[in-house]
Amino acid sequence: MGRHRDHLVEGSDPQLSVALHPPASDAGLRPVLLLHGFASSTKLNWVDSGWIRFLNEAGRAVITVDLPGHGDSAAPEARDSYSPSRIRADVLQVLQDHHVAPLREGVPASGVDIIGYSLGSRLAWEFGATQPELVHRMVLGGPGSGDPLAEFDLAAAQELLAEGTPIKDPRTAELMRMARLVPTNDVFALLTMVEAVKDEPFIPAEAVPRMPLLLVAGENDDLAATAQELADLAPHAELLKLPARTHANAVTSRAFKAAAVAFLSA
Amino acid sequence: MAELSFPLPDLGEGLIEATILEWLVAEGDQVERNQPLVEVETTKSTVELPSPQAGTVVKVHGDAGSVIAVGDPLIVFEVPDDTAGIVGTVPAEKAPARRVRLSAVLDDD
Repeated sequence: MGRHRDHLVEGSDPQLSVALHPPASDAGLRPVLLLHGFASSTKLNWVDSGWIRFLNEAGRAVITVDLPGHGDSAAPEARDSYSPSRIRADVLQVLQDHHVAPLREGVPASGVDIIGYSLGSRLAWEFGATQPELVHRMVLGGPGSGDPLAEFDLAAAQELLAEGTPIKDPRTAELMRMARLVPTNDVFALLTMVEAVKDEPFIPAEAVPRMPLLLVAGENDDLAATAQELADLAPHAELLKLPARTHANAVTSRAFKAAAVAFLSA
Repeated sequence: MAELSFPLPDLGEGLIEATILEWLVAEGDQVERNQPLVEVETTKSTVELPSPQAGTVVKVHGDAGSVIAVGDPLIVFEVPDDTAGIVGTVPAEKAPARRVRLSAVLDDD
């Protein structure tokens, strides 16, 4: 699957890098959409970590999308391109392009399952809340009830880039460290995304997904310290903690993958 | 049977070491080529390393939390004798399949 230049959402093509990863032997279940985290990509979050292989081996077809300014997707200048509401509209378009049909009782291939990580979990939470007729179940990795990007110290990040001034806020410093480590990351696009997220911060109680949710967080994940509060907002949510894992290294966890596949097959 | 040792591969981008997070295979396991062997974490990301080789795992180096340098031993396989030459030995010398003319072609001018 390439880019969808013929499908226009709100008048302009987001030029997102979208891919379908079919299994060798299809279990006949609905596809799984993967949404990666801030400053990551489909490759880092899902390919190199072994997720696509694991899901394919479980017979699941996988749809991946690089967020704007990330991975192989375009990095537009306009701030609106990065707003969470715009991204959710683009995700809906991606699912329509893949002929994802509304859930139907007794039809296991209908609808879609979603796995998100970090910012991808925030987008999934909102997407699931607004698209209950499409989304069957969701696994939200590294989630929290707060919004680390809305609290991001943008001025400090800009001073770091311009003058090399060290960032005082530890979370901002860690997010910038991650953003700059990957040579292909467009740091200015990522900062534009931060601005867009500040315009639309995550307020999970505003729209709550009502389908079954599995929240997964490393025991030592500072960014997901509020995962239980998030779980408490939803009517059907359970929380799995991964011993000794952090926000960065929970992604590859075998226990995470196995729990996700089992939860989504139910 | 022969033993084949594989080092921690070059993970790119100037990374010189990685931390073992979790072994996905144990000594005595029969593994396939490309089967995930181990989760490792670098300063940049966390990855699953696929097996470069089919065989029986004889030894894994490093418990969870230990740091391994690129090029240091990571895992040892036992493989049938006739496959051992795939890695680490120089292929037998053969006559070149195609000859290239090395003499210069002089311009006409």
